Amino acid sequence: MAEYRTHMKIIGDILATTRDDLQDEDGASVTYLIRKANISHSRISTILKTLVSQGLLEKVDNQGFNKYKISQPGREFLEAYYTFTNFADNFGLSI
Amino acid sequence: MEFLLENILNMVGFLVGLAIGIMSHIGFRNTGSPTLFRLSIAFFSISAGFFIIWSGYMLEDFVTKTGSIERWIQTLGIAIQTAGYFFIAFSHSIKSFFPKSSYFRSVGIIPLFLVSSVQLEHIFRSVSFILLAYGAIETMLSYFENRNKGAISVAVGLGLLALGEFVGWYSFVFPESILYPVSMIIKIGGLVALFIPVSKVPLTKMKFDDLE
Repeated sequence: MAEYRTHMKIIGDILATTRDDLQDEDGASVTYLIRKANISHSRISTILKTLVSQGLLEKVDNQGFNKYKISQPGREFLEAYYTFTNFADNFGLSI
Repeated sequence: MEFLLENILNMVGFLVGLAIGIMSHIGFRNTGSPTLFRLSIAFFSISAGFFIIWSGYMLEDFVTKTGSIERWIQTLGIAIQTAGYFFIAFSHSIKSFFPKSSYFRSVGIIPLFLVSSVQLEHIFRSVSFILLAYGAIETMLSYFENRNKGAISVAVGLGLLALGEFVGWYSFVFPESILYPVSMIIKIGGLVALFIPVSKVPLTKMKFDDLE
Protein backbone atom coordinates (compact mmCIF):
# COMPACT_ATOMS: atom_id res chain seq x y z
CA MET A 1 0.00 0.00 0.00
CA ALA A 2 1.29 3.47 -0.90
CA GLU A 3 2.45 5.58 2.04
CA TYR A 4 0.53 8.84 2.60
CA ARG A 5 2.87 11.85 2.39
CA THR A 6 2.10 15.21 3.92
CA HIS A 7 2.71 18.42 1.95
CA MET A 8 5.70 19.07 4.20
CA LYS A 9 7.17 15.63 3.43
CA ILE A 10 6.84 16.24 -0.31
CA ILE A 11 8.70 19.55 0.07
CA GLY A 12 11.34 17.74 2.13
CA ASP A 13 11.73 15.09 -0.61
CA ILE A 14 12.10 17.75 -3.33
CA LEU A 15 14.70 19.70 -1.35
CA ALA A 16 16.57 16.50 -0.44
CA THR A 17 16.71 15.53 -4.13
CA THR A 18 18.10 18.94 -5.12
CA ARG A 19 20.70 18.68 -2.37
CA ASP A 20 21.82 15.04 -2.40
CA ASP A 21 20.79 13.54 -5.71
CA LEU A 22 21.52 16.00 -8.53
CA GLN A 23 21.84 14.89 -12.16
CA ASP A 24 24.68 17.35 -12.76
CA GLU A 25 26.13 20.55 -11.30
CA ASP A 26 23.56 22.73 -13.08
CA GLY A 27 20.73 21.32 -10.99
CA ALA A 28 17.75 19.02 -11.40
CA SER A 29 15.21 19.26 -14.21
CA VAL A 30 11.46 19.19 -13.52
CA THR A 31 11.17 15.75 -15.13
CA TYR A 32 13.94 14.41 -12.89
CA LEU A 33 12.27 15.86 -9.78
CA ILE A 34 8.90 14.41 -10.79
CA ARG A 35 10.48 10.97 -10.99
CA LYS A 36 12.54 11.25 -7.81
CA ALA A 37 9.89 12.93 -5.65
CA ASN A 38 7.10 10.81 -7.19
CA ILE A 39 4.66 13.67 -7.75
CA SER A 40 2.46 14.91 -10.61
CA HIS A 41 3.58 17.70 -12.98
CA SER A 42 0.75 20.07 -12.05
CA ARG A 43 1.46 19.72 -8.33
CA ILE A 44 5.22 20.03 -8.57
CA SER A 45 4.93 23.19 -10.69
CA THR A 46 3.05 24.98 -7.91
CA ILE A 47 5.42 23.72 -5.23
CA LEU A 48 8.55 24.68 -7.21
CA LYS A 49 7.13 28.15 -7.82
CA THR A 50 6.55 28.57 -4.08
CA LEU A 51 9.97 27.22 -3.12
CA VAL A 52 11.71 29.56 -5.58
CA SER A 53 9.68 32.57 -4.36
CA GLN A 54 10.59 31.67 -0.75
CA GLY A 55 14.26 31.50 -1.67
CA LEU A 56 14.64 27.80 -0.81
CA LEU A 57 15.41 26.81 -4.40
CA GLU A 58 17.33 28.62 -7.15
CA LYS A 59 16.04 28.43 -10.72
CA VAL A 60 18.85 28.09 -13.27
CA ASP A 61 18.24 28.66 -16.99
CA ASN A 62 20.19 25.95 -18.79
CA GLN A 63 20.05 26.20 -22.62
CA GLY A 64 16.36 27.03 -22.58
CA PHE A 65 15.50 24.50 -19.87
CA ASN A 66 14.80 25.33 -16.26
CA LYS A 67 16.83 23.50 -13.64
CA TYR A 68 16.59 23.77 -9.87
CA LYS A 69 19.32 23.90 -7.21
CA ILE A 70 18.98 24.15 -3.47
CA SER A 71 19.96 27.52 -1.94
CA GLN A 72 21.66 28.15 1.42
CA PRO A 73 18.32 28.99 3.13
CA GLY A 74 16.99 25.79 1.53
CA ARG A 75 19.80 23.78 3.13
CA GLU A 76 19.04 25.35 6.51
CA PHE A 77 15.33 24.63 6.07
CA LEU A 78 16.09 21.01 5.22
CA GLU A 79 18.26 20.64 8.35
CA ALA A 80 15.42 22.11 10.43
CA TYR A 81 12.96 19.81 8.66
CA TYR A 82 14.99 16.69 9.56
CA THR A 83 15.49 17.83 13.16
CA PHE A 84 11.80 18.52 13.75
CA THR A 85 10.67 15.44 11.85
CA ASN A 86 12.63 13.48 14.44
CA PHE A 87 11.13 15.63 17.21
CA ALA A 88 7.56 14.99 15.98
CA ASP A 89 8.35 11.26 15.49
CA ASN A 90 8.93 11.07 19.24
CA PHE A 91 5.27 12.02 19.71
CA GLY A 92 4.14 9.57 17.06
CA LEU A 93 3.34 12.45 14.69
CA SER A 94 4.52 13.54 11.26
CA ILE A 95 5.09 17.19 10.39
CA MET B 1 4.73 15.96 52.36
CA GLU B 2 1.75 16.48 50.03
CA PHE B 3 2.46 20.21 49.81
CA LEU B 4 6.09 19.53 48.85
CA LEU B 5 5.09 16.95 46.23
CA GLU B 6 2.43 19.29 44.82
CA ASN B 7 5.06 22.01 44.45
CA ILE B 8 7.58 19.68 42.81
CA LEU B 9 4.93 18.29 40.45
CA ASN B 10 3.65 21.70 39.41
CA MET B 11 7.12 23.17 38.94
CA VAL B 12 8.31 20.14 36.91
CA GLY B 13 5.08 20.26 34.87
CA PHE B 14 5.49 23.97 34.23
CA LEU B 15 9.15 23.65 33.17
CA VAL B 16 8.75 20.49 31.04
CA GLY B 17 5.64 21.92 29.34
CA LEU B 18 7.38 25.22 28.69
CA ALA B 19 10.54 23.54 27.30
CA ILE B 20 8.59 21.27 24.91
CA GLY B 21 6.28 24.15 23.98
CA ILE B 22 9.23 26.41 23.10
CA MET B 23 10.87 23.62 21.09
CA SER B 24 7.63 22.99 19.17
CA HIS B 25 7.24 26.71 18.55
CA ILE B 26 10.81 26.97 17.19
CA GLY B 27 9.96 24.02 14.94
CA PHE B 28 6.78 25.73 13.77
CA ARG B 29 8.64 28.99 13.06
CA ASN B 30 11.30 27.11 11.05
CA THR B 31 9.06 24.74 9.09
CA GLY B 32 5.52 26.17 9.24
CA SER B 33 4.21 22.72 10.17
CA PRO B 34 0.62 22.75 11.57
CA THR B 35 1.43 19.63 13.64
CA LEU B 36 4.17 21.54 15.48
CA PHE B 37 1.78 24.48 15.94
CA ARG B 38 -0.75 22.17 17.62
CA LEU B 39 2.00 20.65 19.77
CA SER B 40 3.17 24.11 20.86
CA ILE B 41 -0.40 25.09 21.86
CA ALA B 42 -0.73 21.76 23.72
CA PHE B 43 2.44 22.12 25.76
CA PHE B 44 2.06 25.86 26.43
CA SER B 45 -1.43 25.05 27.79
CA ILE B 46 -0.09 22.20 29.94
CA SER B 47 2.67 24.48 31.23
CA ALA B 48 0.18 27.30 31.99
CA GLY B 49 -2.13 24.84 33.78
CA PHE B 50 0.62 23.61 36.10
CA PHE B 51 1.78 27.20 36.69
CA ILE B 52 -1.72 28.33 37.71
CA ILE B 53 -2.05 25.50 40.25
CA TRP B 54 1.45 26.24 41.58
CA SER B 55 0.48 29.94 41.91
CA GLY B 56 -2.63 28.86 43.81
CA TYR B 57 -0.52 26.92 46.31
CA MET B 58 1.89 29.84 46.70
CA LEU B 59 -1.04 32.23 47.20
CA GLU B 60 -2.46 29.95 49.89
CA ASP B 61 0.90 29.51 51.60
CA PHE B 62 1.98 33.15 51.68
CA VAL B 63 -1.22 35.24 51.47
CA THR B 64 -4.54 33.62 52.37
CA LYS B 65 -3.16 30.87 54.71
CA THR B 66 -6.51 29.03 54.65
CA GLY B 67 -4.92 25.58 54.72
CA SER B 68 -6.13 24.55 51.27
CA ILE B 69 -5.84 25.90 47.74
CA GLU B 70 -8.75 27.93 46.34
CA ARG B 71 -10.92 25.35 44.58
CA TRP B 72 -11.60 27.50 41.51
CA ILE B 73 -7.85 28.05 40.92
CA GLN B 74 -7.26 24.29 41.00
CA THR B 75 -10.21 23.70 38.64
CA LEU B 76 -9.00 26.41 36.25
CA GLY B 77 -5.47 24.94 36.17
CA ILE B 78 -6.77 21.42 35.54
CA ALA B 79 -9.13 22.71 32.80
CA ILE B 80 -6.25 24.42 30.97
CA GLN B 81 -4.14 21.25 31.26
CA THR B 82 -7.06 19.25 29.84
CA ALA B 83 -7.16 21.64 26.86
CA GLY B 84 -3.46 20.88 26.33
CA TYR B 85 -4.06 17.12 26.48
CA PHE B 86 -6.88 17.61 23.97
CA PHE B 87 -4.48 19.19 21.46
CA ILE B 88 -2.05 16.25 21.87
CA ALA B 89 -4.91 13.83 21.17
CA PHE B 90 -6.20 16.09 18.36
CA SER B 91 -2.78 15.87 16.69
CA HIS B 92 -3.41 12.14 16.42
CA SER B 93 -6.51 12.90 14.30
CA ILE B 94 -9.11 12.52 17.01
CA LYS B 95 -11.98 13.21 14.65
CA SER B 96 -14.81 11.14 16.03
CA PHE B 97 -14.67 12.61 19.52
CA PHE B 98 -17.48 15.14 19.06
CA PRO B 99 -21.02 14.43 17.83
CA LYS B 100 -21.66 15.71 14.28
CA SER B 101 -25.01 17.30 15.12
CA SER B 102 -24.72 20.95 16.18
CA TYR B 103 -27.67 20.40 18.57
CA PHE B 104 -25.83 17.68 20.49
CA ARG B 105 -22.66 19.75 20.51
CA SER B 106 -24.46 22.72 22.09
CA VAL B 107 -26.28 20.51 24.61
CA GLY B 108 -22.98 18.81 25.49
CA ILE B 109 -21.63 22.03 27.02
CA ILE B 110 -24.66 22.58 29.31
CA PRO B 111 -23.62 20.11 32.04
CA LEU B 112 -20.49 22.20 32.63
CA PHE B 113 -22.71 25.07 33.84
CA LEU B 114 -24.90 22.87 36.03
CA VAL B 115 -22.27 21.32 38.29
CA SER B 116 -20.18 22.72 41.12
CA SER B 117 -16.46 23.41 40.74
CA VAL B 118 -15.59 20.21 42.67
CA GLN B 119 -17.55 18.11 40.20
CA LEU B 120 -16.05 20.08 37.31
CA GLU B 121 -12.61 19.09 38.57
CA HIS B 122 -13.66 15.42 38.44
CA ILE B 123 -14.98 15.87 34.90
CA PHE B 124 -11.77 17.51 33.72
CA ARG B 125 -9.64 14.84 35.41
CA SER B 126 -11.62 12.03 33.77
CA VAL B 127 -11.48 13.75 30.34
CA SER B 128 -7.72 14.24 30.85
CA PHE B 129 -7.39 10.53 31.63
CA ILE B 130 -9.18 9.55 28.41
CA LEU B 131 -7.15 11.97 26.26
CA LEU B 132 -3.84 10.92 27.82
CA ALA B 133 -4.64 7.22 27.45
CA TYR B 134 -5.59 7.84 23.81
CA GLY B 135 -2.35 9.77 23.19
CA ALA B 136 -0.28 7.03 24.87
CA ILE B 137 -1.89 4.26 22.77
CA GLU B 138 -1.50 6.20 19.50
CA THR B 139 2.14 7.00 20.28
CA MET B 140 2.86 3.36 21.10
CA LEU B 141 1.19 2.30 17.82
CA SER B 142 3.41 4.75 15.93
CA TYR B 143 6.43 3.13 17.61
CA PHE B 144 5.43 -0.23 16.11
CA GLU B 145 5.36 1.45 12.67
CA ASN B 146 8.54 3.55 12.87
CA ARG B 147 10.59 1.86 15.64
CA ASN B 148 11.60 5.29 16.94
CA LYS B 149 12.83 4.64 20.49
CA GLY B 150 11.88 8.17 21.60
CA ALA B 151 8.23 7.29 20.99
CA ILE B 152 8.42 4.61 23.73
CA SER B 153 9.51 7.20 26.27
CA VAL B 154 6.74 9.63 25.22
CA ALA B 155 4.14 6.83 25.27
CA VAL B 156 5.31 5.78 28.76
CA GLY B 157 5.23 9.44 29.85
CA LEU B 158 1.68 9.97 28.61
CA GLY B 159 0.67 6.60 30.07
CA LEU B 160 2.10 7.50 33.49
CA LEU B 161 0.32 10.88 33.39
CA ALA B 162 -2.93 9.03 32.61
CA LEU B 163 -2.32 6.56 35.45
CA GLY B 164 -1.49 9.47 37.78
CA GLU B 165 -4.77 11.17 36.86
CA PHE B 166 -6.67 7.95 37.51
CA VAL B 167 -5.01 7.28 40.87
CA GLY B 168 -5.47 10.96 41.83
CA TRP B 169 -9.15 10.76 40.98
CA TYR B 170 -9.48 7.45 42.88
CA SER B 171 -7.90 9.06 45.97
CA PHE B 172 -11.12 11.05 46.41
CA VAL B 173 -12.74 7.73 47.33
CA PHE B 174 -10.06 7.05 49.95
CA PRO B 175 -9.03 10.46 51.31
CA GLU B 176 -6.08 10.62 53.72
CA SER B 177 -4.65 7.47 52.10
CA ILE B 178 -1.29 7.21 50.33
CA LEU B 179 -3.02 7.27 46.93
CA TYR B 180 -2.75 11.03 46.33
CA PRO B 181 1.02 11.31 47.02
CA VAL B 182 1.51 8.18 44.86
CA SER B 183 -0.45 9.80 42.02
CA MET B 184 1.80 12.88 42.18
CA ILE B 185 4.98 10.75 42.13
CA ILE B 186 3.63 8.84 39.10
CA LYS B 187 2.86 12.13 37.31
CA ILE B 188 6.35 13.51 38.03
CA GLY B 189 7.78 10.27 36.54
CA GLY B 190 5.54 10.76 33.49
CA LEU B 191 6.72 14.32 32.92
CA VAL B 192 10.37 13.26 33.20
CA ALA B 193 9.76 10.42 30.70
CA LEU B 194 8.13 12.92 28.32
CA PHE B 195 11.15 15.18 28.48
CA ILE B 196 13.87 12.52 27.96
CA PRO B 197 13.60 12.14 24.14
CA VAL B 198 12.89 15.83 23.63
CA SER B 199 16.06 16.79 25.52
CA LYS B 200 18.09 14.89 22.92
CA VAL B 201 16.91 17.04 20.01
CA PRO B 202 19.94 19.05 18.81
CA LEU B 203 18.88 22.68 18.73
CA THR B 204 22.32 24.27 18.46
CA LYS B 205 21.99 24.93 14.73
CA MET B 206 18.37 26.04 14.95
CA LYS B 207 17.41 29.68 14.69
CA PHE B 208 14.35 31.76 14.07
CA ASP B 209 14.28 32.89 10.48
CA ASP B 210 12.02 34.97 8.30
CA LEU B 211 10.67 32.17 6.13
CA GLU B 212 6.94 32.64 5.89
